[in-house]
Amino acid sequence: MNGSVISGKNIYKIFKLGEERVAALNGVSMEVKRGEFVAIVGTSGSGKSTLLNMLAGLDKPTKGEIIIAGQHIEKMSEGELVKFRRDHVGFIFQAYDLLPQLNAIENVALPLSFKGMNKSRRTKEAMHALKQVGLEKYMRHRPTEMSGGQQQRVGIARALVVRPEIIFADEPTGNLDTKTTISVLHLLQEVVHEAGNTLVMVTHDNNLASYADRRLHILDGEVVYED
Amino acid sequence: MRFSDKVGMAWSSLWKRKLRSLLTILGVMIGVASIVTMMALGEGMNRQSMEMIEEYGGLRTVEVREGNNQTAKNASSGADNAASDPTKLKLTDNTIKTIQEMGHVEQVYPTLEFQAVMQSGGYRLGIYGGQAIPLEVLRDMKWEFADGGWPNKGDELKFVFGNMVIQDFEDSRGNAVYWNTGRVADVDLMKSKMFTVFDTEAYYASQNSGDGGRTAEAGDDLEGADGEAPGAATATPAPKKYMIPTAGVLAGSLEDYKEYSWSVYCDLEALEKMYKKVFKGKAIPGQPVKKNGKPYPELFYSKLSVIVDDVENVEAIQKEIGDMGYQASSNSEWIAQAKEQSRSTQALLGGIGAVSLIVAAIGIANTMMMSIYERTKEIGVMKVLGCGLFDIQQLFLIEAGMIGFGGGVTGLSLSVLVCLIINKITGAMTAVIPFWMYFAAVVFAIIVSMLAGFAPSKRAMSLSALEAIRNN
Ligand SMILES: Nc1ncnc2c1ncn2[C@@H]1O[C@H](COP(=O)(O)OP(=O)(O)OP(=O)(O)O)[C@@H](O)[C@H]1O
Ligand SMILES: [Mg+2]
Repeated sequence: MNGSVISGKNIYKIFKLGEERVAALNGVSMEVKRGEFVAIVGTSGSGKSTLLNMLAGLDKPTKGEIIIAGQHIEKMSEGELVKFRRDHVGFIFQAYDLLPQLNAIENVALPLSFKGMNKSRRTKEAMHALKQVGLEKYMRHRPTEMSGGQQQRVGIARALVVRPEIIFADEPTGNLDTKTTISVLHLLQEVVHEAGNTLVMVTHDNNLASYADRRLHILDGEVVYED
Repeated sequence: MRFSDKVGMAWSSLWKRKLRSLLTILGVMIGVASIVTMMALGEGMNRQSMEMIEEYGGLRTVEVREGNNQTAKNASSGADNAASDPTKLKLTDNTIKTIQEMGHVEQVYPTLEFQAVMQSGGYRLGIYGGQAIPLEVLRDMKWEFADGGWPNKGDELKFVFGNMVIQDFEDSRGNAVYWNTGRVADVDLMKSKMFTVFDTEAYYASQNSGDGGRTAEAGDDLEGADGEAPGAATATPAPKKYMIPTAGVLAGSLEDYKEYSWSVYCDLEALEKMYKKVFKGKAIPGQPVKKNGKPYPELFYSKLSVIVDDVENVEAIQKEIGDMGYQASSNSEWIAQAKEQSRSTQALLGGIGAVSLIVAAIGIANTMMMSIYERTKEIGVMKVLGCGLFDIQQLFLIEAGMIGFGGGVTGLSLSVLVCLIINKITGAMTAVIPFWMYFAAVVFAIIVSMLAGFAPSKRAMSLSALEAIRNN
């Protein structure tokens, strides 16, 4: 508890592939404090995404405890997890994953519509979030009319708009060039430090991880060290 | 998630794949149109047969004729009495009263069928089943007249002719004028002088015994009334002729068949008065006589028409009257048969139409499945972002419902058009869309579409979000 929004205790995740058992997570324990920007770093196949999915309530651990915003999520049903994510979690995807038929405002407002917010209010909130990520000029553009960097900013705005307790991002710059990557990372830093959000980001790149306040280095499903 | 937002999203994803949505809707449209059109054809047939039954004596009428010993056999009470009292099963005012007292009977009226021979110019008309009916009942028929109208209450005897009766005139040699020449006899039913013989037995007897070709000349007896034709005093004396005026001719062309077309009508009361004058205690043709050959003091009716309050009760009333020993007949069996037939035709036609709707439903399921595969990613993202599971299911059900609605409305419009064309071509109400079907067709299309979309929507709901966002 004491100030930590995320607390994972002894998390195991074992995948069964026929007879073979793959241990993606081998007893991970970790904490994330409120307002912290934490990076999960490791080589490919080390178990970063698996850990993030557990923390975000997208998958359940084989063993262990995950307490997020004071709630044990490892015991929740799928329906409860959906509701939990809707109320507490923002998500940024590697491939942005905006809905192509919706414009920037509508994309950002989407999670608010899941909450049942009315249209005029959620449009206002979405416009505010888009301003936060510097896209006031692109509010009515569709995803196909924007660059990758711009699309990811829309993605970030979509995560911010619900004012979540934690934002999760799996390789958010994975599809971007170096220059754009840096500007997106600056934006993420800003979002955490100025707006007071908590961010957990997965990356395989040590340089990118250096933008975070703290790094969890993971190898073969175990946190080997933090810095 | 708000319902309006779900509708909006469903709409936008249908819109995004316009062509595919349109083709799916087209399938439903054809399905609905074929069901509705088929049902309309069945309904049209049903109505036509009901109309036909109505024309042939009505849907609610039981016709009663006198009973005889055979019909009385199954009537336990009537049987013994019939033997002792031969008038027991004849139709009298008492019979009318008895039937009127039964439940569900709205009206009972008698008909006395009469015979007569009419002469005008060189032409002759034999009336066999002339209908003498109480004047009030005749007036209630609301028939239209080509000329004249019903006589007034208390008038002397006057005739009303059906629109085709004129075709029945024969020339002096006994040949049917209209059927041989194609032209009607040169008789103006309203204006020509016509002499009527009621004692047809005596008339034909005199015809056979005298010179067969001889017909009464119009000038024979201008005073009409009671004048006896001179020169008829051969073997059998020719009966008296009476000049009976025509009150009216019923509307319709020579080809225009109506229930009244071939009949001659008159007021029952007036005919009874006339009979008293004509026969003066002699036997009236068609009426029974006592063992000693003398007529009964009262007239017996030829038939009674019993109007039942509802089609459903016709059969019961018919049975009840039949059980009393009378011969009762109605269209109830015909109606039941016609109904049964139209029901099975409708089921068959509807079934044929339903096949195409089933095909359309499979089309919907197929389209939705494809759309879900395409949108796996999108659905996954929505789930990750916190879209409720049932909201996702409803999104797809609404989409399917919209396809059904679109197909239902367009299909209905199409079938309305098709029915109009069919009716135009056949020149009759061959296809009739019942009022409730407008509503039912659309609702049915929506329900079928949503059922077809149910399995896909279930699948969308249970898609793993993790699986969906992993595949990049
Ligand atoms: N659904 C699954 N079924 C079976 N094995 C899985 C599944 N998901 C992950 N794994 C295995 O778990 C291990 C960790 O995978 P994970 O996706 O967490 O790696 P990662 O660190 O995110 O790698 P990358 O940087 O390439 O994305 C891998 O060995 C992978 O093969
Ligand atoms: Mg990964």
